[in-house]
Amino acid sequence: MEQLALQLTNGLAVGGIYALIALGYTMVYGVLKLINFAHSDLFTLGAYLGFTLLASKLLTGMGAFWGTIILAMMVMGMIAIVGALLDRVAYRPLRESPRLSAVVSALGASIFLQNAIMLVYGARYQVYPQDILPRMAMDIMGVQVPLVRVLVLCISLAMMAGLYFFIQRTRIGTAIRAAAIDQGAARLMGIDVNRVILIVFMVGPALGGAAGLLVGLYYGQINFAMGWGYGLKAFTAAILGGIGNIPGAMIGGLLLGVIESLGAAYVSLAYKDAIAFMVLILILIFRPTGLLGERVAEKV
Amino acid sequence: MKKFLAPVIVVLFMASTALAAGPVKIGLMGPMTGSWASEGQEMKQVVELLAQELNAKGGVNGEKVEVISEDDGGDPRTAALAAQRLATLGVVAVIGTYGSAVTEATQNIYSEAKIIQIANGSTAIRLTEKNLKYFFRTCPRDDEQAKVAAATIQMLKVKKVAILHDNSTYAKGLADETKGLLGKDKGVEIVFFDALTPKEQDYTTILTKIKGTNPDFVFFTGYYGEAGLLLKQKKEMGWNVSFMGGDATNNPDLVKVAGKDAAAGFYFISAPLPKDLPTEEAKAFLAEFSKKYGNAPGSIYSVLAGDGFRVTVAAIDKAKTADTGKMAEYLHTGLKDFPGLTGKISFNDKGDRVGEVYRVYKVNPDGQFILQQ
Repeated sequence: MEQLALQLTNGLAVGGIYALIALGYTMVYGVLKLINFAHSDLFTLGAYLGFTLLASKLLTGMGAFWGTIILAMMVMGMIAIVGALLDRVAYRPLRESPRLSAVVSALGASIFLQNAIMLVYGARYQVYPQDILPRMAMDIMGVQVPLVRVLVLCISLAMMAGLYFFIQRTRIGTAIRAAAIDQGAARLMGIDVNRVILIVFMVGPALGGAAGLLVGLYYGQINFAMGWGYGLKAFTAAILGGIGNIPGAMIGGLLLGVIESLGAAYVSLAYKDAIAFMVLILILIFRPTGLLGERVAEKV
Repeated sequence: MKKFLAPVIVVLFMASTALAAGPVKIGLMGPMTGSWASEGQEMKQVVELLAQELNAKGGVNGEKVEVISEDDGGDPRTAALAAQRLATLGVVAVIGTYGSAVTEATQNIYSEAKIIQIANGSTAIRLTEKNLKYFFRTCPRDDEQAKVAAATIQMLKVKKVAILHDNSTYAKGLADETKGLLGKDKGVEIVFFDALTPKEQDYTTILTKIKGTNPDFVFFTGYYGEAGLLLKQKKEMGWNVSFMGGDATNNPDLVKVAGKDAAAGFYFISAPLPKDLPTEEAKAFLAEFSKKYGNAPGSIYSVLAGDGFRVTVAAIDKAKTADTGKMAEYLHTGLKDFPGLTGKISFNDKGDRVGEVYRVYKVNPDGQFILQQ
C-alpha cells in the first residue's frame, strides 16, 4: 500500500514536468498545426540559463524563496524572447509555405539549438548548486514523501492553472482560441493573427523553460541532450490528451507519468517505456483524437 | 572516370607508404565528447604527456612517436567511423577505448587492418573471447570484478542483496556474473535483479521498487552519472541502505552529482586510483602530470590508457620494428612483468591482463575515495 502511494507521487511529480512541456507542444499545434520540434531544446536551454544565473551569484543576496521566484521569472522571460525569435526566424517566413517545410525548419532549429548549447556549455554533465530547494521528507498519512516532489507537482499545477485562466478568461486568450479554431475567420474579425502566434511562441516556451529550470533545481544534473527524452514523453502526453487541447495536455502528462511509474513498479522495470507506449497505442485505438481531443475533424 | 582514378590511387598509395617511413603513429580513440567526455579528455592528456616525454628522450627505435587522437563520442556508431579514420591514417596501434560496447564496435575494423588495439576501460568478458590476435586490454575483466564484488558482499555479511544494471554490455555482464557467483552461496539471497534506463533523471520509481523488496545492500553495475542520481534520490527518500557500484562509478563527478552527504558511505570496486598506486614509475609520472596540468589524474582509466601506450612502445622497441604481427607476438609471449604505472603487466594468449587488479573503495564524508583493506 505504501509502495503504491509512493509510486503515485513519483509518477505525479514526473508527470507534472511532462505536462508543463506538453503545453508548449499543444499550444503551438492548436494554433499553427505545427509540431515545434525545437520546443524540447528550449526546455534544455531553460535549464542551462537557470544554471548560468545561479552560477553568476546574481541572486545570492535574496532569500531562497524570493531568489527562486525571481530566477524563474528571469528564465521564463529569456526563454519567451528566444521563443519569439525562433518564430520570427524559423517559422514566420514559412507561414504561407506547405506545412512540411515548417516541420523541416523545426527540426533544423532543434539541431541548431542543441549543438549551440553543447558548444557553449560543453558536453559534460553540469551540476546545479545543491540545496536550493529544501531537502526533507513530508509525512502524508504515514507515507514519507520528499517535500520537493510535492513542490514540483504544486508548481506545475499552479502554472497550468495560470495558463488555463489566461486562455479562458483574458482577451488575448480568447483571441488565441479564436485563431486556433479558424485563422482566416479570426483575421476577418480583426484579430492580429501574427501577434497571437507570437504570444503563443512566448508563453509555450516560457513554460517549457520553467520545466527545464525545475528539472535542474530538482534533479541537479543537466546535460545538453536531455531535451530529447523529455520532449518525446511530453509530445506523447500531448497526443494522449488530444493534441491542441490544453486541459488534455495537463491530463495526458500526469497520466503518462503515473502509467510509467506504476508500469515500472508492478510489471517490469526494463520495459517501463514500452509499457507506457503500449497504453498510448491502446488509448489511441479507442480514441483516435486522444482523451479530450475533438470528436469530429473540423478541418478539411 | 577510370583514367582519373588510377593515378589518384597510385599517388595515395605512395603517400601512405611515404608516411609510414616517418614518425611512428599511435592512435588514441577515446570519448572526448558525450557523457564520458571527462574520461576521454584525460586519456588524451596522459597519452600526450607520455609521448612528449618519450620524444624528448629520442623516441623509440630512433623514430619519433606521433599520437593521433580521434573522438568516439562514447557511442558505437561514432566509434566505428573513428576507427575507420585511424585505420586509413596508418597507425600501428590504437589505445582505447573506455566503454565496452564502444570498443566492440571497433574490434573488427582494427583486426582486419592488422592494427594493435589496447583497450583501457572495456571490461566486458566477451571482448577477449573472440580470438583476436591484435586485441589487448590493460584493464581487468568483469569476471575478475564480479569475484571481488561477490567477495565484498559476503565479507560485509549481507543477507539480502539487490542487483541493478542498465542493460549495457558492460553493466549487464557484471550483474550476471555477480548473480551467478552469489547464487552458489546459500547465505545470500538476491531479492531484486533488473535494469534501469540510462540517461533519465528520475530514478525514484526504481528506488521505491527496490526498497519494497527490503534489501540490506544494493549493487549497481552501471555508470557514475546514474549512480550519482541514485544516491541523491535515495537520500531524499530518507532510505538508509548501503550502496556499492562497479568500477564505472569511479569518477569524481559521482560526488558532484550526488552531493557529499549522499555519496558518503558508497562503496565501489575499482582498479587502484592513481593516488594509491604503489610503484616508483607511477609516482614519477603523477608528479609530471600534476606539474603539467595543475592537478593529478582523476580516473584510473586514463592511467591505464597510459600503460597501453607504454606497452606499445615497449613492443616496438623489443620487436625492433613497427610490424604489428611481430609486436602482437611479443605482447602475447615476450612481455613479462612489465613495470607499468598500474603495477606489473603481462598478457595471456587471449590478450587479457594477468593478475589481480581490483580493490574496494569507500567514499568518506568529504567526498574523497578511500582505499579499503
